[in-house]
Amino acid sequence: MKILSVDDSKTIRMIVGRSLKNYDCVLCEAANGEEGLAAAASEKPDLIILDITMPVMDGVTMLTKLREDPALKAIPVVMLTAESGRENVAHIARLGVRDYLVKPFKEDELIEKIGRIVNLQPKLVAA
Amino acid sequence: MISSTAVPFEMSTSTTAPILIDEVRGYLNRSISDVFDTMLGLEAKPAAYCDLHASGQTIVSGSIRFDGDVTGVFHIHVPAAFARTLASRMLDLPEVELEGDEMVNDVIGELSNMIVATVKSHLCDAGASCVLSVPKVAHTNSSRIERRGHVDRRFLTFRCGADQILVEFLMQTSLLSWLR
Repeated sequence: MKILSVDDSKTIRMIVGRSLKNYDCVLCEAANGEEGLAAAASEKPDLIILDITMPVMDGVTMLTKLREDPALKAIPVVMLTAESGRENVAHIARLGVRDYLVKPFKEDELIEKIGRIVNLQPKLVAA
Repeated sequence: MISSTAVPFEMSTSTTAPILIDEVRGYLNRSISDVFDTMLGLEAKPAAYCDLHASGQTIVSGSIRFDGDVTGVFHIHVPAAFARTLASRMLDLPEVELEGDEMVNDVIGELSNMIVATVKSHLCDAGASCVLSVPKVAHTNSSRIERRGHVDRRFLTFRCGADQILVEFLMQTSLLSWLR
């Protein structure tokens, strides 16, 4: 299981990593949409957690490009963003996202949303 | 609907546009309380105005511009020691492991982003469309930048335990008739 976190805030990427630490998955990170597209192409993640407001390339542009790429368009995306305006959410929903989590957020909310899309398995602890 | 009744914890240098300013103040009150509770497990309560910059201590400020139907800037000011405490709580790391200012700045930038984006979303839902800049963070121990031109400036102070948070927001007054 591979999950890609795309957020310009290292803090958020660390919180996403902390949320997933007890699950059997690899976390890849990118700090903007451009890096996110490159990481999506090279890592082929099972899920992308995507912010909107980022420098270089924002999340909406990345999502649009992702959906235009035949090799990447099927990757499910969960938006994790502080943008909660009705029009913005509706616009992003039309671009095709599996779920939308508004910051501030609880780690267990994030895990619940991820778990509805991919099969998160708890890490096995050696006896 | 946010009440436009004057509240004791606000200090204003404004003479105009009470409706929009009061709405923004209400959004900020709820947003700061929600962000501090959800991300930090801390209670942030409105408090009497306090000029953090007069204390002589180093202040960490997260600043975010908004442009569109309404234009201006929000600054979230906290004392540097409290900024480190916030970073430690948010990242679940001991303060001694926060090397330099990089992680503190990132946490203050992200908290500012969450606080201001919530306000922005309310403004957009009310029909005042705007976009936000990415946050900028600065450490200063000097006075605030003086306002220039026709801007309406407000301050809100919050208390979080023994620590204080000062929110400063400036909006272009030429655009403040928008929601009247």
